[in-house]
Amino acid sequence: MVVEERIARKPRRSLAWLQSIGIMLKVAETQLRLISRYPGSLAIDVIMPIVTTAIPILLGRSLTGSFDAQAFAANTGTTDYVPYMLIGSSMLTVVTTALWNVGFWVRREQQTGTLEAIYLAPASRFWVLAGVALYGMVRSLVSLLLSFILGCLIFGINPLQGHIGLAFSFLLLGLVPVYGLSLIYGAVVLRLKEAGALIQIAQWLTSLLMGIYFPITVFPPLLRWIALVFPPTWMNNGIRAALLGVGWFFDSWYADLGVLAVFAVIMPVLGYNLFAVVERKMQRNEGVGTF
Amino acid sequence: MARTLSLLAAMIRKNMLVTLRYPINLLGRFVTAFVIMLVFMFATLMFVPGGLQSLDSGAESFSLASTMIYGFVLFLFISDGLWIVGYNVRWEQYEGTLESLYLTPASRFLYLTSRLAEPLLWTGLIAATVLLSVRLILGALPMANPGLAFYTFALTLGGIFGSSFCFAAFTLLVKEAAQSIANLLQFAILTVCALFFPFRVLPEPVLILSRLVPLSYSVDLLRSALLDFPGGYPELASVQTELIIVTLWGLLMPPLGYLAYRWAEQRVRVNGSLAEF
Repeated sequence: MVVEERIARKPRRSLAWLQSIGIMLKVAETQLRLISRYPGSLAIDVIMPIVTTAIPILLGRSLTGSFDAQAFAANTGTTDYVPYMLIGSSMLTVVTTALWNVGFWVRREQQTGTLEAIYLAPASRFWVLAGVALYGMVRSLVSLLLSFILGCLIFGINPLQGHIGLAFSFLLLGLVPVYGLSLIYGAVVLRLKEAGALIQIAQWLTSLLMGIYFPITVFPPLLRWIALVFPPTWMNNGIRAALLGVGWFFDSWYADLGVLAVFAVIMPVLGYNLFAVVERKMQRNEGVGTF
Repeated sequence: MARTLSLLAAMIRKNMLVTLRYPINLLGRFVTAFVIMLVFMFATLMFVPGGLQSLDSGAESFSLASTMIYGFVLFLFISDGLWIVGYNVRWEQYEGTLESLYLTPASRFLYLTSRLAEPLLWTGLIAATVLLSVRLILGALPMANPGLAFYTFALTLGGIFGSSFCFAAFTLLVKEAAQSIANLLQFAILTVCALFFPFRVLPEPVLILSRLVPLSYSVDLLRSALLDFPGGYPELASVQTELIIVTLWGLLMPPLGYLAYRWAEQRVRVNGSLAEF
């Protein structure tokens, strides 16, 4: 009897897994379908890193004329300031897209009055959030690829320099803690509600902490430590080091990748638990649907 | 007249009250401005041999850092003009209050004018905070020709706010797409109008575009005046020519923007898409 029950339970479990993955894919598909209705937003994703790259390049050229590359090398360790800036801007877009997607997903569902309904559906919140994250990853990776290729064409950069495989490893592993971070951010939005303001702050604070246009070594000690416990800083520096050879934080790529792997374990767990705590608190106080 | 003023005061009070009800939003604007300034200051440092120490008063790098800071102050007003005055009409649509607002006998001109109070007060305070922090970090910025600089700044604000009225009209017509366009527009202005760097570093095709945008002449004249016309400044035209362009732009843009808004409003009312979103 017990054996029979076990046999009967087995397919049910795998079915539950399939259903969960189905939920995740369905949520991602819904979000992708929604964004496909706004092609302007997708175009902005591609154009924005190029515009934000052009600003510091022009700023630098105005300061030192033909000696800009030498001055830049003395401060950062590479003369290739154009790809240095382009990588920073592209990484910022990836990180802010992650924050924007989860944070705004919560807020948008709240504003349109569907968040409470989602909470009443018999679907695990984990898989719904995983679907939102999957959509964000697909969107940001496609935009990253397009904007990087376009940026390379506009600024005359060779996109095939350095260790591309290693750079991809840093990017893909780095996305995991970034989405963990986006859950923490989603919890803050759920609690404080002012998503627009929080995104503005988060976007610029992120650009500062991850060193969008500069290495974090220029920071005063306290700010440098804060930047080092911020996962996108490791992802950004890892990609720059792999492609441009600017130097690792720990003198070797595997040590830096190891730190990123630790973040990849800690951040999603921390993010999901924090999100769940805030969510429970909001549900008890009837605050999920209010805005 | 008294009734108009009291109506305007009531509208401004309502807008201020809404702003104060979102303290994180307000605080965020101060924090964001400070962080943006830090980001671009660190970016500037990367191209300066010797880093922060070489940004001492009198050096070329310091004068260019001042160019960036003054450009940034103007950018704050441009950005808030676009979002608070221009895009705000979209929020009224979201909240469902735009149509009912249009049913009241309140003047549409006063409605738009009242929206200017917020960027004038809060953005002014944010700009002052930024300038004060720069003074604390780098030292006093050059502030020559205050009369001419003030005149240029006041008319530039007129031009910016008039353009924001135009953007409000555009928002009424294109709805959700206005958000992406505002995002792109503020960065395009930043580059084309050379807000953070001198015009001489722009590539020729972009420079042609810059010469077509009146805001470029405002930016050029304002920073040339504040930096006491160093060699090569103003970069786009003579002082007299730039003064004429800035004056015409600052005086003509607000009424033109208002007319554009009324036209767009009439259009969406006729085709019944005022409250649609």
